[in-house]
Amino acid sequence: MNNVSLSAQNVVKRYGGVVALADGNLEVHSGEVVALIGANGSGKSTLGKIITGVTAPDEGQLLLDGRPVHFPSPQAARNASITAVYQELSLIPDMTVADNIWLAHEPMSLGLRVNKKLLRQRTHELLDLFKGTYGSTLDPDAPVSELAPDERQIVEILKALSQSPRVMILDEATASLDSQQVDRLFSLVQDWKATGMAIVFVTHRMDEVFRVADRVTVLRNGRTVGSMPIEEATEQSLVNLMVESKADMRVEKKTNSARQSAVRLKVENLRTEVLQDVSFELHDGELLGIGGLRGQGQEDLLYSIFGAIPFEGQIWLSGEPVHFKHPRQAIHKDVALVPGDRGQEGLLMIRSIFENLQLPSWRRYGRFIDLNRAREDASRMAQRLNIVMESLDAPVTSLSGGNAQKVVIGKWLLREPKLLLLNDPTKGVDVGAKGEFCRLLAELREAGTAILFYSSDDEELLNLCDRVLVLLDGKVRAELSNSTLTDENLVAASMGTSQDNGA
Amino acid sequence: MTNLNFKRISLRAPYLFALLLLFVAVAVNLYLQPNLLQPRVLAGNLRIFLPLIIVTAGQAIVIMGGGIDLSVGAIVSMVNAILITLIGPEATTGDILLGIAIGCGAGILAGALNGFGAVFLRLQPIVTTYATSFVFGGLALYILPRPGGSIPRALLNIYRAMPLGIPMAIFVIIALLLVWSALTGTRYGRYLFAVGGNDEAAYATGVPVDWVRFSTYVLAGLAAALGAVALTMSTGSGDPYIGTSMTLDSIVAVVIGGTRLSGGQGGVAGSILGVIILGLIRNIISFANVPLWSQTLVDALIIMAALAGPGIVRLVRRQQVTT
Repeated sequence: MNNVSLSAQNVVKRYGGVVALADGNLEVHSGEVVALIGANGSGKSTLGKIITGVTAPDEGQLLLDGRPVHFPSPQAARNASITAVYQELSLIPDMTVADNIWLAHEPMSLGLRVNKKLLRQRTHELLDLFKGTYGSTLDPDAPVSELAPDERQIVEILKALSQSPRVMILDEATASLDSQQVDRLFSLVQDWKATGMAIVFVTHRMDEVFRVADRVTVLRNGRTVGSMPIEEATEQSLVNLMVESKADMRVEKKTNSARQSAVRLKVENLRTEVLQDVSFELHDGELLGIGGLRGQGQEDLLYSIFGAIPFEGQIWLSGEPVHFKHPRQAIHKDVALVPGDRGQEGLLMIRSIFENLQLPSWRRYGRFIDLNRAREDASRMAQRLNIVMESLDAPVTSLSGGNAQKVVIGKWLLREPKLLLLNDPTKGVDVGAKGEFCRLLAELREAGTAILFYSSDDEELLNLCDRVLVLLDGKVRAELSNSTLTDENLVAASMGTSQDNGA
Repeated sequence: MTNLNFKRISLRAPYLFALLLLFVAVAVNLYLQPNLLQPRVLAGNLRIFLPLIIVTAGQAIVIMGGGIDLSVGAIVSMVNAILITLIGPEATTGDILLGIAIGCGAGILAGALNGFGAVFLRLQPIVTTYATSFVFGGLALYILPRPGGSIPRALLNIYRAMPLGIPMAIFVIIALLLVWSALTGTRYGRYLFAVGGNDEAAYATGVPVDWVRFSTYVLAGLAAALGAVALTMSTGSGDPYIGTSMTLDSIVAVVIGGTRLSGGQGGVAGSILGVIILGLIRNIISFANVPLWSQTLVDALIIMAALAGPGIVRLVRRQQVTT
């Protein structure tokens, strides 16, 4: 692979009245990893889409190897060996892994027919790069719709790699991967660098920036506000560049007062396909975290309490035994679940923000809906959550990821739940929005809401929670609180090492 | 694990349910009409099914690509009118070939018009093709204001021929299946499933989404024209309304054949089974001495049951999984 350099200069992109990108600049060369960071809505994804020809810029230019280029379609960018691993996955659910990876550049025999044998063989070769980090369902003939999110992400990465690109854009590629898979990806990135590939790494995770990047470029409100070698950057300096008002994740932790309040939720010997005899209590005004590696039963726990999947065992809600068979029953008992996959479970994407916010609550506004009152409530909620939007009537698709997630949370908060179940709600959300979100949780806890909070971000659990249950293989491996709630204990318990204490 | 296997099989062979249905339909039909499997009777049946089979193959491709074509019946009528006008009873071989070529050309043009509206003008496929169906239907009436006309005897004979003792229709069906299986092996076949499955993902991957969609309408137009050729050779006369019922029949057959209306999955093989099942159902009704006044109702009820079948299977499976 030969030398390559790509640079985007003064790129502008408007969507209707909204300026997504005001002055985007990015430069990347062979054998270099550039981390592209910025708050949600700062234009990272837009810049990525312009480089890969998915959307056309309104102004500015792209230079490839010093010559101006113009990509009217993703195909054109691919022909120039530029490809992307997208955040919103670009896989076809009903096609197999092999067909997806090689779509539009299938190995052919006789020029016309797809060579299925070669297709499968090459897919095996690619899958071997991640060997040992994924489950048994992932094979070339598996339909993508059967895969877990992390496996889909791996397929997505391999799909980009299969094109032997000279420039690769990784947009939030680590968001659904577990730590082992991330480690593998990063070691692969080192290999790719060595072959001369230029890599743009779009991320929200600060530690990853320092692990993998050679240079870092920061976007704020659609403008490139800084670009520097990684040696000259510090976590604090980058955060300062990203957000105008410094984001503070830390909120006052509550002491043991929660323990004296009423027990809102009691779970005993909960069993599902994944969970094995999980028991715990959750008090009003308590924020109970669930941690551990991805896929250890955290989602099963939330979904069985919410009545979305079948389970065995006993659950008491405010002392009353319940066994929800449908989420509707749980919702009637003031339980709310904020899902992690906002596109699939959280939002009606093309409907307005207003409708999405009020979807679970229409019943409260009478048989003939009192639209004015509903609007007032919705706009109060939008203000409280600080949703950045054109108007309440704009479609959810017009929002950035972090703001869309706020709508998901807002729609349940409007129902004033007594028990709030959170399924990794800050996945793919930037630091600034995370800070706001954490303050919101603290507020809710203060108001007496019982919160069960699964997060794949250890930092969040450490900073926010009164107690953390660490799950491993469907069992509670450790219960950490106060002095035992430390980074080391959390990691140790999730990895199942012997020195974890507290269990 | 069983869940996974079921999914894989149903993706690779979406016509499994149709096969079961076909078995039942043949059994019932055989009971009511014991001579069904005699070559002469079978050939007669297939002759009647063949035009719809060809039309449905085109409809299946449009639906797999994520569209729908409500104008195929009108295209059949139009091409039938063209053929009967160009090919009189005394036509020479050259005239006949020219007539068929012009008929197919008209079908392709009609499909291109559909594709232009539904793809490049970004109009809703249902509305576009519903509107164009009146254009094609109107042209049929313009060309052939009232039923009539005839074609050379030789053409009728070719359609009824049984080379090697096998009905002509079987050869055509085999040819259709060969073309389809060759198509799925090409890059175009992958594109078709990708575009129907998730068009944005396909676009971001570099698939020429618009052109693939456009081509499905053109193929459907061509298939409708070829269906009209078969129909004209079968009936030997012209009728400007002859194709009207074929539009909805073709869609029903595609769905019975296991193709999802939202696209991205399914196939031509299942759709052909769908047509045969639909034809057998009509046979059964006429042999079962169902009173004339209730034939339409019974017909509709059986078709509804056939359409609901795959959904019911899925529902039963889901309950088994949860309990």
